[in-house]
Amino acid sequence: MTRTIIPFGPQHPVLPEPIHLMLTLDDEVITEAVPAFGFVHRGLEKLVEIRDFHQMIYVVERICGICSMLHAMCYCQGIEEMMGIETPPRARFLRVIWSELHRMHSHLLWLGLFADSFGFESLFMQFWKIREKILDIDEATTGNRIIVSVNVIGGVRKDLTLEQTRGILSELKSVETELKRLETTILNDYTVQNRTVGKGVLTAKQAYELGLVGPTLRASGVMQDARMLKYAAFDDIAFTPVVETDGDCYARCKVRFREVFQSIDLIRQAIGKLPNGEIAVKVKGRPDGEVTSRVEQPRGEVFYYIRANGTKHLERLRVRTPTFANVPALLTMLPGAGLSDVPVIVLSIDPCISCTER
Amino acid sequence: MIRHGILIAAALIFGPLVGGLISGMDRILTARVQSRIGPPLLQPFYDVIKLLGKEKVVVNVWQAFCANAYLTAASIAVVLLCLRSDLLLILFIQAVGSVFLVVGAFSSTSPYSQIGAHRELLQMLCYEPLLILVAVGVYLQTGSFRIAAVHALHQPMLLKLPFLFLVLGLVLTIKLRKSPFDLSTSHHAHQELVKGLLTDYSGPLLALTEIAHWCDTALLLGFCSLFWATNPIGALLLVAVTYLMEIWIDNVCARMNWRWMLGYGWGMGMALSLVNLVWLYAR
Amino acid sequence: MFTMTSTILRNLLKEPATRRYPASVRPSFEAARGEIRNDIHVCTFCGVCAVKCPSQCITVDRKAADWSYDPSACVQCGVCAEVCTSGSLQQARDYRKPVRKKELVVLKGATTPPKHSDPPVTG
Ligand code: SF4
Ligand code: SF4
Repeated sequence: MTRTIIPFGPQHPVLPEPIHLMLTLDDEVITEAVPAFGFVHRGLEKLVEIRDFHQMIYVVERICGICSMLHAMCYCQGIEEMMGIETPPRARFLRVIWSELHRMHSHLLWLGLFADSFGFESLFMQFWKIREKILDIDEATTGNRIIVSVNVIGGVRKDLTLEQTRGILSELKSVETELKRLETTILNDYTVQNRTVGKGVLTAKQAYELGLVGPTLRASGVMQDARMLKYAAFDDIAFTPVVETDGDCYARCKVRFREVFQSIDLIRQAIGKLPNGEIAVKVKGRPDGEVTSRVEQPRGEVFYYIRANGTKHLERLRVRTPTFANVPALLTMLPGAGLSDVPVIVLSIDPCISCTER
Repeated sequence: MIRHGILIAAALIFGPLVGGLISGMDRILTARVQSRIGPPLLQPFYDVIKLLGKEKVVVNVWQAFCANAYLTAASIAVVLLCLRSDLLLILFIQAVGSVFLVVGAFSSTSPYSQIGAHRELLQMLCYEPLLILVAVGVYLQTGSFRIAAVHALHQPMLLKLPFLFLVLGLVLTIKLRKSPFDLSTSHHAHQELVKGLLTDYSGPLLALTEIAHWCDTALLLGFCSLFWATNPIGALLLVAVTYLMEIWIDNVCARMNWRWMLGYGWGMGMALSLVNLVWLYAR
Repeated sequence: MFTMTSTILRNLLKEPATRRYPASVRPSFEAARGEIRNDIHVCTFCGVCAVKCPSQCITVDRKAADWSYDPSACVQCGVCAEVCTSGSLQQARDYRKPVRKKELVVLKGATTPPKHSDPPVTG
């Protein structure tokens, strides 16, 4: 066959979200990949002009349907820093618990989609079945499965009772055993390795120079994680980032798989050290000045720039999401890959397009 | 003559019916091993009825012709199987049907269906020689290519042709579009080519290809049943076990790519067939 | 491959994880944030809920004593129920059933509302 151009997306069953890739093929080998965005732009940043800074929490939460809690947390931490608010310790630990639950369900979602991208449907169902447990924890403790809406400026809205923390721990136990059972399949199965090992390799230097973030970067051997900034309660919790060195799709899968277990561990630590006390402080006054805020989302570091002018509306809000940083990696990885590896490679950066376009 | 007429009518009706029912059971079982409840047993029929009721959009006349030709060839193959005709003829007609499907896909300009058709050709390249080898094995065992000769045997063929039966299983996996071989198109479209080969077939034409696929399923399972032709219960059991193995393979494997398929299919298939044939010959 | 086999066999022997919705429905969690309900006889039409709502889907008209709410614009955040001054606004556990048409929920107070010291606010 000669040169073919495939419009991969924006609506494509293997893509969870609309991104358009124009793939030029030479006999099932990609020679060029040109991405196009702009299918889910909603103009959420502009909403600062008509929503006050409290209401914006619920807007930024809806930037992304998967890492929503971390968006709100990043935003609230930024405003708190600007207004000089000291959040109570219990609130900071609770934020860690919910944010790590978020990371878990996001990674489980990804593991499922990744399995689906190489045609392993039954494995996909297994991961999503486990994910339901995490979503149930979310719903039982916060009232919603994904858009948990727990963050407010100055703390959190919901508290965990002793009973609930015990419930979380026992659920996590069963999640852990079920995941362990899938470990040999996702990491050691012959057919899975055949589809992931050596696909889409990025060296540490390449990954660093492309400015990648999150698991995509860590799978290439660069130890960088925004949780090392010790926001929320991370200064009281032992944490070392998960790093792999191979830089291929398999390594990225391994990083995320191991991070699920790491999150379980972080939640256990946080519940173990959960201090008593207030969960939120009263907020007086209006924000003024400018601030940047960063947290580690499941897909990598998210960056918020906030500028305020002392009124109840912010002046400017700018979000740089992890997928925005990771898309350039696709342009490096795709040329030279086979067509059947495209879904695997595209999924391996865990693209979140709603985040990227806001 | 009347007997033949009845047989032909029965094959035309029951061929696709059995194929559809098997596909319905397949869906339920697949769902159950994935911890889902799954659709009702008759879901494949509901799907096809719905497709038949849709507006007919013909991409080009040639493609519409191809869909019909595929169905015709697939049903003729089933009829011939029921008439206990010549095995080589049946396989040939079945192959002609598949070629029509591919040609229909090639006749549209969508890159997805082009690449799908290309891959389907590679798949055929992989399994057609194997099917012929199985037929040759049957010939060596019975001394004839006619299915009637198989039914005349006193001992199940499986005992003499175990490896060739495995090869037939391999072909079945490719033909049923199960992982790891759901390359040219897949049942759920969660694949890089979306619906690949079938992308540009739509509405009633897609329904025709689906019915033809049921016929193909029935044909190949009928072929499998020949390996235990001495006893209907044995034949049924053999087919059931074969199909369960297909579902098992489908659920424990990722999709591979066509290079792997050609290498593995030919390597494994040829090796198994040769071992079996040499063994038959030497005896 | 073999561990996956044991997984799928286990699934086959266990109950499916899915259920036949809507024939069988799991009860909502106690904390679940469902539909917003207003006990209009208690509502003082102060308008705080309308101001705080992030999706601005509540409108309060103090003079006419009506409270209206657009369920299809509501994001179920629960802020309005949290800030309600009279406790009339509650968030139920259950979700709203799907509807064919988008409709406003308009509730009318039976009597003129009691005088309130806050200035009337309309959102
Ligand atoms: S739940 Fe939230 S969005 Fe809905 S009406 Fe109340 S404040 Fe508005
Ligand atoms: S805050 Fe409560 S009392 Fe005030 S208008 Fe809203 S529902 Fe009525």
